[in-house]
Amino acid sequence: MNETTFEIKATGSVVEGVTLPDLDPAEDYKGYRGYSRAVLEATGARVWCEVKATTDQGDFVGILLPRSETADDKHLVMKLTYNGYNVGIKSESIQHIEVLGYRKANYKIPEKEFPKDPVKPNVILLGTGGTIASRLDYRTGAVIPAFSPGELYGAVPELADIANMNTKKIFGEFSENIGPMHWKKVAEAVAAEIETGNVNGVVVGHGTDTMHYTAAALTFMVQNLPCPVVVVGSQRSSDRPSSDAAFNLLRAVKTAAEGDFGEVMVCMYGPTSDSYGLLHRGTRVRKMHSSYRSTFRTLSDTPIARVSQDGFVPIKEEDAFIHRDMSRKPVLNTAFEEKVTLLWYYPNMQADIVDAMVDAGYKGIVIAGTGLGHVNRPLFPALRRAVKAGVHIFMTVQTLWGYVQMYVYDTGRDIMEIGVTPLANMLPEVAYVKLGWVLGQTQEPAEVRRMMTTPVNGEITEREPFDGYLVFQGGLPELEDYFKYHQV
Amino acid sequence: MNGNSGNQTDWKQHGFRCGLEIHHQIHTEKKLFCHCPAGKYSDHYDAEVLRHMRPTLSELGEYDGTALMEFKTKKEIIYRLNRETVCTYEMDDTPPFLINEEAIDIALTIAQAFNCKIVGELHIIRKQYLDGSIPGGFQRTAIVGVDGEFPLSNGKMIHVIQLGLEEDSCREVSDNGHRIVFMADRLSMPLIEVVTECQMETPEEAQEAAMRISRMLRATQMVRRGAGAGRQDVNVSIEGTTRVEIKGVPAISRIAELTDYEAHRQRGLVALSEELQKRGFTPGEKPGRVVELDLNGLRFNNPDLAAAVQVRDSVRVAVFPDAKGILSWPLYGRRFADDISGQVRVVACLDMLPNLLHTDGPSGGLDEADTAMIEKLTDAGAEDVAVVVWGPEEDTVTATNEIIDRYAQAIAGVPNETRQALNNNWNDFERVLPGPDRMYPDTDSPPHEIAPERVEAAKEKVPVAPWVREEMYREQKLPEDIVDLLPITAYAPLHDKLVSEKTVDPMRSGELLARMMTALQRREYPVEALSLDQLEDLLRAMGAGRVYREGLFDLLQHWVDHPQLSLDEMLEHLEWTRVDDTELTAVVKEAIDLAKGEGPRLPENVFAMAMGHAMDIVRGRVASSVVREKMTEMLGL
Ligand SMILES: [Zn+2]
Repeated sequence: MNETTFEIKATGSVVEGVTLPDLDPAEDYKGYRGYSRAVLEATGARVWCEVKATTDQGDFVGILLPRSETADDKHLVMKLTYNGYNVGIKSESIQHIEVLGYRKANYKIPEKEFPKDPVKPNVILLGTGGTIASRLDYRTGAVIPAFSPGELYGAVPELADIANMNTKKIFGEFSENIGPMHWKKVAEAVAAEIETGNVNGVVVGHGTDTMHYTAAALTFMVQNLPCPVVVVGSQRSSDRPSSDAAFNLLRAVKTAAEGDFGEVMVCMYGPTSDSYGLLHRGTRVRKMHSSYRSTFRTLSDTPIARVSQDGFVPIKEEDAFIHRDMSRKPVLNTAFEEKVTLLWYYPNMQADIVDAMVDAGYKGIVIAGTGLGHVNRPLFPALRRAVKAGVHIFMTVQTLWGYVQMYVYDTGRDIMEIGVTPLANMLPEVAYVKLGWVLGQTQEPAEVRRMMTTPVNGEITEREPFDGYLVFQGGLPELEDYFKYHQV
Repeated sequence: MNGNSGNQTDWKQHGFRCGLEIHHQIHTEKKLFCHCPAGKYSDHYDAEVLRHMRPTLSELGEYDGTALMEFKTKKEIIYRLNRETVCTYEMDDTPPFLINEEAIDIALTIAQAFNCKIVGELHIIRKQYLDGSIPGGFQRTAIVGVDGEFPLSNGKMIHVIQLGLEEDSCREVSDNGHRIVFMADRLSMPLIEVVTECQMETPEEAQEAAMRISRMLRATQMVRRGAGAGRQDVNVSIEGTTRVEIKGVPAISRIAELTDYEAHRQRGLVALSEELQKRGFTPGEKPGRVVELDLNGLRFNNPDLAAAVQVRDSVRVAVFPDAKGILSWPLYGRRFADDISGQVRVVACLDMLPNLLHTDGPSGGLDEADTAMIEKLTDAGAEDVAVVVWGPEEDTVTATNEIIDRYAQAIAGVPNETRQALNNNWNDFERVLPGPDRMYPDTDSPPHEIAPERVEAAKEKVPVAPWVREEMYREQKLPEDIVDLLPITAYAPLHDKLVSEKTVDPMRSGELLARMMTALQRREYPVEALSLDQLEDLLRAMGAGRVYREGLFDLLQHWVDHPQLSLDEMLEHLEWTRVDDTELTAVVKEAIDLAKGEGPRLPENVFAMAMGHAMDIVRGRVASSVVREKMTEMLGL
């Protein structure tokens, strides 16, 4: 509420025939505070009113919009009626506001029944909060997610050419808020859907920021998959005509419906062009750019396949990925120890960082070390103390590509002697997820080490192919040539 | 053909209304929302990116029918990227950086040049475009000022609705069938947009208003020069029609002719609508049916149809009942069928012309035998008209749907649309006119407060309106070319100051500052190198009789290459010292001897030749009238 009182000279009026509903200050003054709020209160205008504001700069006719909570208290925002533009009007300049009408925003997407075709495969879309399909509120710019089959059909009608769609919302979280509790729920939902026997594949809609953590968690938590589980999202929301959302969704649904795969994959843009998507193994994929649409990359390995409306083009050899086998039954194991952390080593890191973790009760630490897997000597006593306290410590590389190799230098040998276990070419984030999952099941050091170093699905590979270090994986001519070669 | 000969139509009687949207690139170092350099063009490119534009759901949660159909016929959009001029922002792979402050300052000056009121807070919004010219599918744009005005020469005030600041679109390289290619270097350069009310009541008023806006922009010295820096869209309506926008008017001098043509076209369409309604069709009705021809065994005389049969294209026919005379309905030099053809070209991507043929008279392109065969195959009656298209299956489906839609629109009158200006004053369909609901807030950009001090500082830079200066210069008896040039140069304030001080003759100043400086600029001399102070020194020296106009051009040519020199140093460098009477006498004598030695027979020839020789030596240092006097005296004439 307003603590200061303002002397407002502006007056207000309502044209005849317009009635406003009962005042709901939270909604009707949304985002307005201080002086601006006082102007609204004094003139009787509210958000969503069509008004004529008379100011010392002339008259403005338009709809009064809600204001961003973080914006200042000196302006009113209006969407001008004659041209659709938004402008901010100085609250102090307002002399009179005449309310001409009132129209509240309508945040619903009309549903259209999703057509069912008995000969088409069935795909379930599990929602976690990422917006794949959506419509736009033209007044606020807010994106309103389309999620039910009817809404999806309304937004991306081409889906009906591929599969019969069902949807289930598991929860609605931004990517950065998703953690182990959410991974468990998604894993349970995936297993339950497959067990119904009614689905040919599962699509998980997810925000892109932590999509690769969830893909790794699902790989560990639901094993022995009979069909594809495809995690998908969008880098450009679908309110823009150039969005990647519809293409991603169509490719993911096609993969779930028809793809000859039996593992957890991420399906996102290959190049920044609209030409094809890549299917990345859930344990080898990482978001590598904060905004590019082709942000997901397979590291130290190649993607499994390319996918487009025309079908699949395998990149990996036939025996190098798990194929669809509808007779398999999923095995669910959602154990997770949350007292696990990921430590990104930097030069001159002090021992007290490690001590602090041990004292805080952490049971597992994944280190992302320099080069082949190193930390500096002053850290050794702290690591020794941690191992003695029963903390399980593993080494990965912050180069992201390549293997940990701790025999090459003395430092590495000494670190291993302390009790730090190298994790070959497991990605640091994947190692973090896996360690939580393993420690949820056992705390016995030898068993933890055995489980960590035994791959579930590709998080450690025996060989890195010569082309596992293709940073861009498509979009540049020489890499296109590479993919062309694999297409033959 | 064009019918523009009798340009005597009294447009005021027909309710002619025209509004303008003038776009002009402004002179900033960098682009509007990223840090790429502005104003660098090249045809070289380092990479190509492929995109599609998918229509987004409208406020009602439904796709616009035409938009979705357009998407289904799928245009492949190729962007060519030059490493130097395009970054990941333009490719819609990086969110916008904060808006360019230099651009805001320029926009604030220009807005106030048209007496606009400045908004308290800038809100970036997105304007949707599905034609591919902007990779994101929308243009980022903001209103800087509203509610301004400027006068026409007849005293009428033209209302400026708004002044916007927005990013420029890509340059189109080619558009063939399903593939459109853009060069992305121009993308996101800052533009200002001046929008007037639809207040101009004749084509001539429209042209004058556009010219005044453009000259005011140039007078600020803050806009870019050269081809393509300014672009004009004009809105035209007449009594009984709503506005049609003509985009891409290539030159302001063409506006009168183009709007005149468009108004005539609209009159033709209004008459056509009356005729259709007279025949009993009602707005909202969709007469017409589609027949696909079975091409087996068909032989057409028309070469396009014969070729289509040969390559086994699909051939579809839209048949309209009671339509004789409708397709060939005259539209001021063109026909209704041409309007339909334009729409088929854009929407169905059938862009090899002719892209349709019809049975409504000889302009339809079909001979009697072909007409009879098509009528038979489609069961068309004597009063029916068949419209034939050919090409890939999907495209002919789109095309016939489009033909039926466009025909239905003709019953109601003139459709709201954007049309492309053509070279011959005609225009052709470009797209359906987007409404205000295609604008929505840019959630990537914060609102931007405009401080009052900043508005004031920008106002200081508003130039005197060119039309005000034009009047002043006419009173100074300057010739029209100088009246035209000087007000839009950066030198006008200097001229005004020195003339009002009576330091220099207006003609001498105008010649130097408008004619000579412009001539040098056109020859690509770096005239900006000379400061206003240097030019002031020069004009004062002329006023004081130290430098004469005869040598000015030479002097300037040298000076722009040595702008670090002061006027005195420059004169010394050119060995231009004052000539006293003794020296002048010697020079003139030598010149007369030289001329006589060349053997001219007539005395006046001696005079002319001797004058030339003498001036070669003293040009700029002595007024030619003084030399002439001395010459006359010494030749005893
Ligand atoms: Zn850029």
